[in-house]
Amino acid sequence: MNTVIFAATAASSSGSSNPILPATGEIIWSVLSFALLLVVLGKWAYPPVKKMMADRADKIRGDLDAADLARAEAQRTLEEYREQLAQARREATRILDEARQTGEALRADLLAKAEEDAANVRARNEEALRVDRQRVIAELRGEVGSLALELAEKIIDAEVDRAASQALIDTFISEIGATQA
Amino acid sequence: MLLAGINFPPISDVLNWRSILFSGTPFALNKVGLITLAATVITLLLFFAAGRQAKLVPSGVQNFVESIVDFIHNSIVVDVMGPDGLAWAPYLTGLFFFIFISNIFEVIPFIQMPATARMSVPAPLALIVWVTFITVGIKAQGAGHYFKNAVIPPGVPGPLLVLLIPLEILSNFIVRPFALAVRLFGNLLAGHLLLLTFAVISEAMFVKSVGLVVLPLPFAMLTALTGYEIFVSALQAFIFTILSALYISEAMKATH
Repeated sequence: MNTVIFAATAASSSGSSNPILPATGEIIWSVLSFALLLVVLGKWAYPPVKKMMADRADKIRGDLDAADLARAEAQRTLEEYREQLAQARREATRILDEARQTGEALRADLLAKAEEDAANVRARNEEALRVDRQRVIAELRGEVGSLALELAEKIIDAEVDRAASQALIDTFISEIGATQA
Repeated sequence: MLLAGINFPPISDVLNWRSILFSGTPFALNKVGLITLAATVITLLLFFAAGRQAKLVPSGVQNFVESIVDFIHNSIVVDVMGPDGLAWAPYLTGLFFFIFISNIFEVIPFIQMPATARMSVPAPLALIVWVTFITVGIKAQGAGHYFKNAVIPPGVPGPLLVLLIPLEILSNFIVRPFALAVRLFGNLLAGHLLLLTFAVISEAMFVKSVGLVVLPLPFAMLTALTGYEIFVSALQAFIFTILSALYISEAMKATH
């Protein structure tokens, strides 16, 4: 039983039996096969595969570029929104400040006006009082003059020249006024 | 005696194949020739299938072919040759597929013969690469410049050149193709004989009932080596391709 799995059927008919040396037929067929492979592969089989791969690479590159662009765009929009938001905030702060300032100014204004009004009223009152007092004093002078005259008439019981004595009386009252003032 | 049942076939029985067609003529077609034809047909079928699918998101055959094409493009063409070598991508891809499929028949059941274990395959391939890089060198630099750059290392004083020029000629134009061919041939022949050895031992163990006890040992070895030979098939195809790329790339560049 010396069956060999390899079932190698020896053939000394094809070339030498030396295991190192090549056989002519094998050389011719291997060269023909390889030449055929190179020609068909190079002309028809390889280019479509390579083209597909190049197309895919291009597409991926294009997609990546587009994605980059989209991201940059989104980033820019975000920046814009942020900028707008910050601007709106600044605007709001500015408006608030302005309102506060206006309020402040208005308050000060009103206060000043009120104080002025109060001063005016006070001045008017004082003026009215002064006028009243002068009027009262003048009335009082006349009253006191005629009273004193009547009194003097009654005391001296004589008819005195009213015009002549009037000057005397005025002088007298003025002196009183001067001492009073 | 246990070993008596082990019957190794003569080495020529597992390497020299009877011709199937055209026997007696130089075009005698045998198993090795069929395997190289199959390598071509399978490679082309793979590429046509991948090219016909041509889907944006690859799957199946397309994915398989594209990943190898991509690997050769990046790891061999771009890394070794740079952008100038891109025109060589189909050539190198064909080289890789042809060698790899010729190799991998080593472990395909019922065929179990690497075409590259016959010098008839690696030697012409190495010769083709040799002619290619010399042609490229002459085309790119002109014959005078190319051979001068190839054999005269720069910055070497005159007397040393006497010693170095023969060495450079030897290494660049003789050892290179020889090493390319022998490396591939030797690795695959050795792998083939290793697998054969353990297969024959396993078979003998199986046939002799007493040997069944120790059958797991050679059979485990056979299994492990089959896996290893798949790796070797890919590795040797890769080495042959990357060295070819290196030689072509060197010939393209004007400086040494």
